[in-house]
Amino acid sequence: MISFVRLQFVGLAACIFFSTASISSDAVDIKDKLVLCESCHGGEDGMPVNADTPILAGQEYYYLYVQLKDYKAGRRANPIMSGMTAALSKDEMKALAEYYSSMEWTKIQPEIDQELADKGGSALGAGQCSQCHSKYQGDSRVPRLAGQQLPYMLQTMKDFKNKVRLNSPAKGSLMDSFSDEDLAAMANYLSGLQQP
Amino acid sequence: MPVFDKKRLCLAVGLVFGAAFTAHAQEVENASNFGDMNTVSQDMLNRAGNDGNNFLHTNGNYEQTRYYPSKQINTQNVKDLRPAWIFQTEIVESLETTPIVVNGIMYITTSFNHIYALNAATGEQIWHFKHKMGPITTYCCGPNNRGVAVYEDMLFMGTLDAKMLGLDAKTGKLIWETELGDPELGYSETMAPTVVNGKVLIGTNGGEYGIRGFVKALDYKSGEVLWTFHTTAEDSTGVWATHDATGRDMLRDIDAEKAKLAEMGDPYKTLGGGVWQNPAVDLDANRIYFVVGNPSPDLDGSLRPGDNLYTNSLVSVDLDSGEYVCHYQYIAHDVWDLDAVSPPILVDVKNNDGDMVPGVLHGGKTGHVYVHNRDDCSLIRFSEAMVPQENMWVLPTKDGERMLPGANGGVEWSPMTVDEKLGLTYAINLHQPMTYHVESSPYPEGKLWLGGAFKVIPEEQQWGNITAVDYHTGKIRWKVKTQQPMIGGILATAGGLVFAGEGNGMFKAYDSETGSQLWRFQAGAGVNAPPASYSVDGQQYIVVGAGGNTQLNYKRGNNIIAFTVSD
Ligand code: HEC
Ligand code: HEC
Repeated sequence: MISFVRLQFVGLAACIFFSTASISSDAVDIKDKLVLCESCHGGEDGMPVNADTPILAGQEYYYLYVQLKDYKAGRRANPIMSGMTAALSKDEMKALAEYYSSMEWTKIQPEIDQELADKGGSALGAGQCSQCHSKYQGDSRVPRLAGQQLPYMLQTMKDFKNKVRLNSPAKGSLMDSFSDEDLAAMANYLSGLQQP
Repeated sequence: MPVFDKKRLCLAVGLVFGAAFTAHAQEVENASNFGDMNTVSQDMLNRAGNDGNNFLHTNGNYEQTRYYPSKQINTQNVKDLRPAWIFQTEIVESLETTPIVVNGIMYITTSFNHIYALNAATGEQIWHFKHKMGPITTYCCGPNNRGVAVYEDMLFMGTLDAKMLGLDAKTGKLIWETELGDPELGYSETMAPTVVNGKVLIGTNGGEYGIRGFVKALDYKSGEVLWTFHTTAEDSTGVWATHDATGRDMLRDIDAEKAKLAEMGDPYKTLGGGVWQNPAVDLDANRIYFVVGNPSPDLDGSLRPGDNLYTNSLVSVDLDSGEYVCHYQYIAHDVWDLDAVSPPILVDVKNNDGDMVPGVLHGGKTGHVYVHNRDDCSLIRFSEAMVPQENMWVLPTKDGERMLPGANGGVEWSPMTVDEKLGLTYAINLHQPMTYHVESSPYPEGKLWLGGAFKVIPEEQQWGNITAVDYHTGKIRWKVKTQQPMIGGILATAGGLVFAGEGNGMFKAYDSETGSQLWRFQAGAGVNAPPASYSVDGQQYIVVGAGGNTQLNYKRGNNIIAFTVSD
């Protein structure tokens, strides 16, 4: 109900954000599952244990849910996450996505190569990335990229390019048109972006 | 069946709007503008084409001519046209709404499904509704909405999360809500509904996501679905057509397709076939006419053998039952997304024997206006091309092939207009050269599924035009080039004028007979919405939204501007 009242007074971005928080999947108990997730993706602080593990806390609900579905269906290949999702039901996936998306985004201190990051800005322009990613803060099925873990982001961009991550075919063709150095430059730029 | 818990929703609406009503209590009295006619009768809707006060349909009338019968604003005085008022919405994003005007009250919508009721003479806000968007939305081409439909004392709007809403027109209170499709699988709504005889008619977006398209009729009182026509036929193979409507070879490999069909079966379940715009209604024949968009995946034909019926087609169905009457397919097995989107128009046309017969017009992304016999949907003629065509139909390749028009070509979703006295239809067009790339990938369950990419060729010039076509002959009468590709819509009036806007913020009036420009106004943001006209207390207004466009990335804004001729 809180979401309704706030909806009245806040702008558009918030309208979408709060509406994601009002999904009710109370019926599904995910406590046991969460213990496992937290061992890699972090506990209440939302801080992943390793730099190759993405931040989930504060990520978009719909995006997270879709990733879990895609790992399970094999559209996104990853030895760890395929195993993690094999036994999850759709409702459990929704509940997990809801749990993480309702948390605050976790701020990290990534080790940015500033020179590379400066080049990244123009590569992002050439790729017209902001056409969908806007200011890189995430919206529904488009994930937040600003401040994401650097090694993870670079790896997943390469996975798009090398057709390991197949769950977004259009992005595969897009990443194809960039050199590995461009990808690194963009990853550095995006990881270093903080909230406006 | 409507998925709707009445108690819960009413409570929700009460909470959302409680504060708004108290804050604007003095403005609610404007609702008295409804006068005695606070209800839109079927008779009013039927006669809308001759109604010089209201603007009751997104495309003006059931025939969808977008022809406004008043000539108070005309070729003589249009130079004196000035803004009467400007209303700014809360949403600075792509604006495609057609204002609907009922007895001095205007209803407009914005991106993300807000509705505003305004005093049409002053621009003052009466109420404001925000749809409570679900967490899952999947849409192509921007969070657009193209407007409401009106019937009796209710309003109807489709939503980005694939619902139909029925609201109280006086207060903006939600009355019912029906889910039309699963947004997780790519269904979404941006078109305005059409209401006739108590039925709310609506299509669906999702041709970029592997949906199975439809047109549905809902009961206006309850939201219950009365019938569904699936736009992809269970046997979608068709006649294995090798040539398009204009007789050009589409270079299909029919043997390979037949082999694929034997292997995979009919692809109809994920074949796309969105319906982006309003159906035209033939009240006498009790039929509706609409066009069906591209097959999924857009560029990759290898996963969908056959003609892919009824994608890229004009289709007619019975209004009462939704049963198929006839169709005509423009491009079988399309792999260029040069589909059918602009709403069809019903007018009498000359057939090839010179006799006048009931006809249907459609403006295609190919750049042709197609003229049909209304009886059996057959093609009578197609117009000269309104935009350059080159290299048609070269097949897409991995590295890309250049072909004109580009996939945003010709008429797009923009409605055309007709001046029947002149026998002319007016279309706004895009010229945006592109290369077509194919890359096969399996159905991704509700994610963008283009089967490749369309790439704009950056070094080539882009532009637009307004073209007047004599639909009795197919000849172009006049053409005016514009700086940028055009998207939005166009309105003709009995004052001898046509009105259309541009991405650079210009809103212009032209002489409908000659195309000479008679008036212009800089709106400050892209004018990419279809204009409308209405009168209040004997004063005629022209109204248009200036909020830019996502698809072509035209400058965003949030203005609704009403113009009138100053005394
Ligand atoms: C053993 C460590 C580990 C465990 C346990 C684990 N994950 Fe992961 N997770 C990863 C790694 C590593 C990745 C990055 C994989 C890749 O590159 O595709 C990842 C990726 C993800 C992603 C994709 C995020 C994005 O930004 O695309 C989601 C969602 C996710 N995990 C959810 C979960 C959930 C929910 C659980 C518990 C059910 C879980 N994970 C358990 C290590 C783990
Ligand atoms: C056509 C819209 C579009 C464009 C253009 C686009 N993206 Fe994306 N991007 C998406 C969507 C949608 C997703 C989520 C894909 C999925 O569901 O797996 C995504 C995912 C990503 C991810 C994965 C994030 C994660 O947490 O795993 C990265 C990194 C990314 N995009 C970077 C880019 C960059 C860099 C560019 C420009 C070169 C770009 N994108 C251009 C739509 C787009």
